Amino acid sequence: MDVRRVRAVAKRIVLGFRRDRRSLGLLFAAPIVVLSLVGAVWGSATERAPTVVVATDRFTLPASTLDAFIGSSRIHGRRATFEEGMRQLREGEIDAVVWLEGTTLHVLMQGDDPLQSGSIGGPIQEALLDTVRGNPALAGPRVEIEQLYGGPDYSILDYLAPVLIAFFAFFFIFLLSAVSFLRERTTGTLERLMATPLRRGELVLGYLAGFGFFALLQAIVILLFSVFVLQVRYRGNLATIFIVEAVLVLGAVSLGLLVSAAARNELQAVQFVPLVLLPQVFLSGLLIPLDQLPDYLRPLSAVLPLTYANEALRAVMIKGFELSDPLVLRDIGVLAIFGLVMAIGAVASIRREVA
Amino acid sequence: MAAEVAVVAQGVRKRFGAVEALRGLDVAIRAGEIYGLLGPNGSGKTTFIRCVAGLLRPEKGTLTVLGQTPRAAVNSGRVGYMTQAPALYGELSVQENLRFFAALERVPKAEQRIEEALRAVDLLDRRKSVVNTLSGGMRTRVSIAATFLHHPLLLLLDEPTVGVDPVLRQELWSRFRRLAAAGITILVSSHVMDEASRCDRLGLIRDGVVLAEGSTQDLVSRAGTRDLESAFLAFAAAR
Repeated sequence: MDVRRVRAVAKRIVLGFRRDRRSLGLLFAAPIVVLSLVGAVWGSATERAPTVVVATDRFTLPASTLDAFIGSSRIHGRRATFEEGMRQLREGEIDAVVWLEGTTLHVLMQGDDPLQSGSIGGPIQEALLDTVRGNPALAGPRVEIEQLYGGPDYSILDYLAPVLIAFFAFFFIFLLSAVSFLRERTTGTLERLMATPLRRGELVLGYLAGFGFFALLQAIVILLFSVFVLQVRYRGNLATIFIVEAVLVLGAVSLGLLVSAAARNELQAVQFVPLVLLPQVFLSGLLIPLDQLPDYLRPLSAVLPLTYANEALRAVMIKGFELSDPLVLRDIGVLAIFGLVMAIGAVASIRREVA
Repeated sequence: MAAEVAVVAQGVRKRFGAVEALRGLDVAIRAGEIYGLLGPNGSGKTTFIRCVAGLLRPEKGTLTVLGQTPRAAVNSGRVGYMTQAPALYGELSVQENLRFFAALERVPKAEQRIEEALRAVDLLDRRKSVVNTLSGGMRTRVSIAATFLHHPLLLLLDEPTVGVDPVLRQELWSRFRRLAAAGITILVSSHVMDEASRCDRLGLIRDGVVLAEGSTQDLVSRAGTRDLESAFLAFAAAR
């Protein structure tokens, strides 16, 4: 393994992009356009009956009032202790925990999904007001809505920004690496490279370094645009986001190289895009929460890299999780394994034999 | 002895599915000579050159390049290979392309070597031009420069003069001659009979076998014909 040769491959890629303005423009402009569209289109939240745990050990109203609240058609009510309710809320099993403190009714939600938050607060509040209406002991109750993560002013874009960052990094880097490597194959430069001392592993590492460079630049642009122009709320550590992105993108480059082995021309490579990306759009939690997926699709979701990138980036950006958090570490680990397997596959797909 | 023979092929066979491209090819290329592999399209010239470049592995027979296996010879930086169509990065400049190939071969004093190579192919003034903006002939010259940057002992040139105008072809052949004079062995393929006279020795190739090997004069006299084309036909008929 020779670092100078790896560096030469990476430098060659960077120099080449300098004159490929269209690809460079696409890399940065396209995600901004789509993010803007998403921000404009998905501004409103949808209504649904939330699942609510009523903390019976902190709810001192008469049993009949409690029954009325739990039986309200506006919510799916459950009984549990406060502690058990909190556990279920943290693990995402329920939408909210409700308890009574003096004459103040507390509603605690996760808050990491503004689409859900918007639709949870209203129905719970209405159900509570319906229940206590006419109860002199609770005339004019004070309702306090609190969130574990985020805040009531979080928009759908705040929730989507982390997953869109992962998606754009994956999509554009995958496409660019697939087409670039295909060009190496179709223009004869790969044949030429294979007749030099360059090793296949050095070539793949050079590609990973070259495209990794652009992926991180892209991440900076998307993140700055999201935070300062689109005013996306953001917690967590910037470096952790970059680590997740970098590991994700290594898999994307390798997958691109692998796909280019299966395609004969650029048009064919582009046809692989829906094949590789659409399942990830629908099965990685990007558009549809994972717990709403049918059981038979769960295993497929579990092998998609974006599933783990989405989970990690949401945890970091919305919940403010650190790199050391077991969930984030596990996701990065899975992404690293995916990247490694794809890189090995990419090396194996580059055959010295040209015909 | 190994220094005197640059490439030895004995009974080399290579098959692509149903097509047998090389059918027991025998070749001996002496060090320091320009050896022309002469034959029609589809005769196995490119397949053989790719075998010598370590890009294809023969199924049968033995192939020794500079006393080593082809792959080992390539890995040690002693072989330069020019593909039939110039294999360059169109979006990079001439200089950037040469720097890239120099780095892959770990060429010492690369900038000096690049300047020498560009001077040799008469492109010093176009070093900063983007390859996509160059003419086909200029690209061929850049491709040749990239082939000998690392001072290989063996140059493999796959139909380097295809589609090249007569003036440039003349220039290219005088460059090949200069490289040979510097001690480099050159294996060049061609399907143009009139290029044969420029080679020291020839291998007449057809259907994956070498029909005859020798200098133009030698081949013509052995066949008892007036010119090389007739000699080629005579050797082909005798087989």
